[in-house]
Amino acid sequence: MSIYDLIFYLFAAITVLSALMVVSSDNIVRSAFYLLATFFGVSGLYVLLGADFVAVTQIMVYIGGILILLLFGVMLTSNITNVEIKKGMKNVIPAIVGIGIFLAATISMMTNTNWKTQPGEIPQTTSFELGKLLITDYVLVFELLGILLLIALIGAASMARKEQE
Amino acid sequence: MQNYLTEIFGNELVAEITVYVLNTIPVLAFIVLFVLFAVWLERKVSAHMQDRLGPMRVGWHGVLQTVADFLKLVQKEDIVADANDKALFNIAPFLVFVATLATYTMLPFTSIFVGSNADVGIFLVLALSGAVVAGILMAGWASNNKYSLYGSLRAAAQIVSYEIPTALVVLTMIMVYGTMNLGDVTEAQTSYFWNWGIFGGAGLGLGKFLLVPFMFVAFIILFISTLAESNRTPFDLPESESELVAGFNTEYSGIKFSMFFLAEFANMFLIGSILVIFFFGGYNSPFGYFGNLIGVDWLIPIEQLFWFIGKGMFFVFISMWLRWTLPRVRVDQLMTICWKYLIPYAFFNLLIVGLILLI
Amino acid sequence: MIKDYLKNTWEGLYTVLVGMKITWKHLFVPSVTLQYPEERAKLPERARNRLFVNINDCIGCMQCATACPVNCIDIETVKGAPVDMPGETSKGKKKALWVTKFEIDIAKCCFCQLCVFPCPTECIQMTDVYEYSEWDRDNLIYNYANLTPQEVDIKQLNLEKFQAEKEAKKIEAAKAKAEAAAKKAEEDKAKSEEKPSDDEKKEEK
Repeated sequence: MSIYDLIFYLFAAITVLSALMVVSSDNIVRSAFYLLATFFGVSGLYVLLGADFVAVTQIMVYIGGILILLLFGVMLTSNITNVEIKKGMKNVIPAIVGIGIFLAATISMMTNTNWKTQPGEIPQTTSFELGKLLITDYVLVFELLGILLLIALIGAASMARKEQE
Repeated sequence: MQNYLTEIFGNELVAEITVYVLNTIPVLAFIVLFVLFAVWLERKVSAHMQDRLGPMRVGWHGVLQTVADFLKLVQKEDIVADANDKALFNIAPFLVFVATLATYTMLPFTSIFVGSNADVGIFLVLALSGAVVAGILMAGWASNNKYSLYGSLRAAAQIVSYEIPTALVVLTMIMVYGTMNLGDVTEAQTSYFWNWGIFGGAGLGLGKFLLVPFMFVAFIILFISTLAESNRTPFDLPESESELVAGFNTEYSGIKFSMFFLAEFANMFLIGSILVIFFFGGYNSPFGYFGNLIGVDWLIPIEQLFWFIGKGMFFVFISMWLRWTLPRVRVDQLMTICWKYLIPYAFFNLLIVGLILLI
Repeated sequence: MIKDYLKNTWEGLYTVLVGMKITWKHLFVPSVTLQYPEERAKLPERARNRLFVNINDCIGCMQCATACPVNCIDIETVKGAPVDMPGETSKGKKKALWVTKFEIDIAKCCFCQLCVFPCPTECIQMTDVYEYSEWDRDNLIYNYANLTPQEVDIKQLNLEKFQAEKEAKKIEAAKAKAEAAAKKAEEDKAKSEEKPSDDEKKEEK
């Protein structure tokens, strides 16, 4: 077992366990903080996959942005301490069926896919190629996403604005 | 070193882990020593700017005062109130400190010592300083104290806002240098001081001279916005003593408080070193190395360390100087500075630098 | 609009620089504070600090205790018996009283110096000592009287003896006087029987 395996299992455990805690926690703020661990774990997994840029983006966007927004939302909501969070068993049979189907699909996919087994070359750096691809091959998608985000930004600003007149 | 450790432990895995752990020790030691020095310097600078002397008792001109204070601090009782959210309360200071410490791995202290020569360099620094917000929010929430919560919400709003001008200027810098790797950025400004970023970089020609004013604007914006991100005066609203009773660290005592303290001062040097790396040649000496002159190779990294820390300390001093000059801004002024001034300037700067680089 | 914006930016940066220039100058101004226990400020000539009583000069007139607005001076005296007189002050004034107790509660003292002026022998003074903090508040009650309790008892006894003697003398004197008076009265009586008194004469008028 090399150190990378060890780190992989560590990150995987962090991700899965904290994701479980997010769902099962009583306290909504705690859930949000468990989500922090989940995001960290996922970004660690990205690093192990050689996707350093994506990993850092994961930290930047999900922890630095989305999680903070979520926490703001949760903390500024009144009566968060006595929100009833629905937990416990409900619709057990449909849930089991749904999960079973999904699990079966995943497992069959895992076993039936022809995985590349020879050790691939871990790219030393991805950001340069990523940038190039975004500006050449995927430029249309990139620009469209930019426009979409711009529209969302303008929409949010106009909605948040005080009504004048 | 790893081979040597493998022989000792007889196990490659343990040896590798030990190497990683040992690698962090110089950085950690540097942070602790720096903080011990910087706190003393801060007190001295503030004292002399107010025509006082500051600490004078412990050691020569009080140099050991911080050591004494630290010893006192670790002896303090670690108070956790009943109404605190205990788990989060205990994790938060370490999260803040670890996130700050992790940014240090990206800094090229010399050409031979870089914690991690990762290609994402500055991007990771930005991301982790954003992640610090989560720790601060955690501390404010877990304290179960209205002032702490206000402080942490202010901190979060402030850091999230000021990340935008920082990111825009960093983007400009990435365009100029063509890389996010801080080591490569430093290498690009090597040899003499007219190759430094603030003087338009290493390239010659029209572009270099056109870049100079815009690099200067970028430097000012980056300085202001990183200063705000590290919650220093005049942007210390999250921990304003007079109105929020020290904000998110009101409830903390002893070693946990010192973790926040360490993180804050570590952040100060981080700002300085990022400015130095982008604009003032990183570890490069302004006039060539003494080691080259007399032909002693091992002297060069030591000189580089001296220049890096020296330049970094200069900016730490400037931020202290600013702290004892300016009063605290109001919340609305804080947001005005960010959204109405820094961001538009940063955008224009980005555009113009982009145009110049196309020439 | 744009002009204002640029002007604001310029002023923001420029005023920061102005402020920084001021603080930079102050960095080199010598400090105005003193390293207290090693360096001390020179006290003004007439500084009012701890009280001191030269008990050898005190005549126990209690004027200081009367003048004190906070009653921090507590004096008790015993009259000197002729066999054991308190002696003289340094300026040759005769003392009549033994000062058996002279306590100043310096914790109460308000340093008004009002006790100093009335003193006829200038034995109570303000000194320049201002560091006299104590762990125990009782230690701030300064006792200046230099008599031991035994001595006080002796003085007391002397005085009582003297007074007893005096009393005895007085009684004797009074007796003698009374006897003399009685004698005189008898004589007067004898005289008055010979001629009427003035009063009687007046009544007759």
